[in-house]
Amino acid sequence: MNPVYLDHAATTPVRPEVQAAMAPFADAIFGNPSSQHRWGREASAALENARAEAAEVLGVKNGEVCFVRGGTEGDNLAVCGAARALAANGRTPRLLVSAVEHHAVLHIAERMAEAGEVELTVFPVRPDGSVDMTGLRSRLGSGPAVISCMWVNNETGIILPVEELAALAQETEAVFHTDAVQAVGKEPVRPGDVEGISLLTISGHKIYGPKGTGLLFVRRGTAVTPLLQGGGQERSLRPGTEDVAGAVGVATALRLAVEEREAEDRRLRALRHTLEKILLSQLDGVVIAGEEARRAPHVANVGFEGVNPSMLLINLDLEGVAASGASACQSGSGKGSHVIEALYGPGVERAHVRFSLGRLSDEAGIRQAAATTVDVVRRLRGEA
Amino acid sequence: MSRVLVAMSGGVDSSVAAALLVEAGYDVVGVTMKTFCYSETPDSGKTCCGLDGIVDARRVATALGIPHYVFDVEEDFTRDVIDDFVREYARGRTPNPCVRCNSNTKFRDLLLRGQALGCDQIASGHYVRIEHRAEGSALLRGLDPAKDQSYFLWGLPADMLPRLLFPLGELTKDEVRARARALALATAEKPESQEICFVPTGNYRDLLAKRLPEPHPALQAGAIVRTDGTVVGEHGGFAGFTVGQRRGLGGGFDEPLFVLEVRPETREVVVGTRDELHRERVEVGELNWHGTRPSPGDRVSVQMRYRAPAVAATVGSADDALVLDLLESYPAITPGQSAVVFEGDRVLGGGRIVRAEVGASV
Repeated sequence: MNPVYLDHAATTPVRPEVQAAMAPFADAIFGNPSSQHRWGREASAALENARAEAAEVLGVKNGEVCFVRGGTEGDNLAVCGAARALAANGRTPRLLVSAVEHHAVLHIAERMAEAGEVELTVFPVRPDGSVDMTGLRSRLGSGPAVISCMWVNNETGIILPVEELAALAQETEAVFHTDAVQAVGKEPVRPGDVEGISLLTISGHKIYGPKGTGLLFVRRGTAVTPLLQGGGQERSLRPGTEDVAGAVGVATALRLAVEEREAEDRRLRALRHTLEKILLSQLDGVVIAGEEARRAPHVANVGFEGVNPSMLLINLDLEGVAASGASACQSGSGKGSHVIEALYGPGVERAHVRFSLGRLSDEAGIRQAAATTVDVVRRLRGEA
Repeated sequence: MSRVLVAMSGGVDSSVAAALLVEAGYDVVGVTMKTFCYSETPDSGKTCCGLDGIVDARRVATALGIPHYVFDVEEDFTRDVIDDFVREYARGRTPNPCVRCNSNTKFRDLLLRGQALGCDQIASGHYVRIEHRAEGSALLRGLDPAKDQSYFLWGLPADMLPRLLFPLGELTKDEVRARARALALATAEKPESQEICFVPTGNYRDLLAKRLPEPHPALQAGAIVRTDGTVVGEHGGFAGFTVGQRRGLGGGFDEPLFVLEVRPETREVVVGTRDELHRERVEVGELNWHGTRPSPGDRVSVQMRYRAPAVAATVGSADDALVLDLLESYPAITPGQSAVVFEGDRVLGGGRIVRAEVGASV
């Protein structure tokens, strides 16, 4: 049987249209966009066309799109850069981040708090995806503040109340950043239409673009201190010779993801429903994380009682089903998920597996994966 | 074909072990055990995720076309191996952490997880042989005397043996390297690791200082004395000394002096001449036997240090503790080290050296 890839939230293949769009920049159009000459101008035009393409899709101004080299870099630049810019006024800013953020946000926030650069609050998220807005408001105080909350949680697919948070930020004049890495192509991500969003991160490789690419939306007027020093590229926000091919790649991938969003949403929801229905009906002791929340269509985070998480994942891989546990470090150290703990408290004994669907998923593959999972779980429980 | 779990450290030996199993047609699953978080070690510049051994094992596994996984055994390893290592030094003894890991952590964990992965057998790149006979499995010395690692495996529980495979047991190191080169394995030229894996700096006293409550007698100054009680110097903590050691005693003696004994209760390090190092009787505790335990009067051979030859002995008693009378006196028998009992090439079992005594030689 063919192996089934159900880890689209980890990464995706570069789709052919994106490969085609990027191809000229490997050799034919290789110039440095900062150069004045013909070669440079060609590259510069391609870069700016890509920027315009991305801006149009997001409903923002061209100058508000800053190309970065991936989601982690975008998140770091947004959180750290915005807080540092606020600190320039002499007051230690508050930084409020949700407990279910990606480590690209959580870890930079923690480092900054340790260094005394920010007063950090990690605010909880309920299993239904909601946030205690009254509590959050009381923690904001009156001074400068940055709020960072992801749009769609990468481990569970839970949709977070980004518009509410954006409204709160606007009202309190806080800078609001959202990591939209898992939201783009799944949710209507149009920061141009949501005034309270000051910063928004997108990654290329989660949406069938190349790895090492991404963009940060920076609303005009939002002060961000760069992390790197060098030339003046990307309005000095991200110095370094531009990756023109990557910019074209992420912009093309973004456009296609948004164009196909509604059709893909329906398709993936149906497939996910099939997967979850089979698992819930054929096994006892199964919990869907975020079942009571509004969820993006591509993630099924399923908790299985009475099995060892790493043995479950390895067995699935040996049987040809690629899924993942906590979005772990590459060695797969098997540490528990901070997201599951944030949602359900410490000491969850279930083995949580994230199946994430996408363009490689079809009905046959989903049924095969579901059947394999049922077999493996039964075997590990000693039921088979 | 039956499925085998092979422990891959990222070194050349276990890489070749995996390759040989693949060649032999087994359904091979590679694993690397993550024993501790390397990112805590200063100036190593490594992180858990970028760990050399894991990375190299994965490169080799992928080249061999087999899956590879990481088992995090940090908690068990810390409890069973590192804590024991620290405790033993604090008691003035010299532990064998690799023995401890093989006996208590590595193979047990491999078997347990192997079961969950449908693996009938467990393999490693140790230079030992195993013969699966009707009357039971026998662990034998590796054929290459320069590499034989049977000393490290006496602690394997007898009931595990039938499920173990050691593909390198009949090969020499040179042959293993040659196989690795022929297969162009990424680890073919990797140097031998000598240091203790959780002490990459080679200075175990730093680890003790970090893990022992402060102040701890094992790390405090004490007297260096002769057997008659004469004080001949001072040391900076008895944990830095092992029986037979010459370094670190200071100079100015008329003749070369060696550590004869560490006395944690008084913090004394007893020193003496080379002749004074010899003992004729050894008591061994924490025993493990692979088959039938020897009886009083049996003639066996015993190896008391890695890379040292086994010497002939007569079993005095073999109940809670094993008492062996050595046919010839033997130098620098070190409490805490393993004493491995052989019958010819076969490992019968072994234990940890408790003490050694003068006299009573048969």
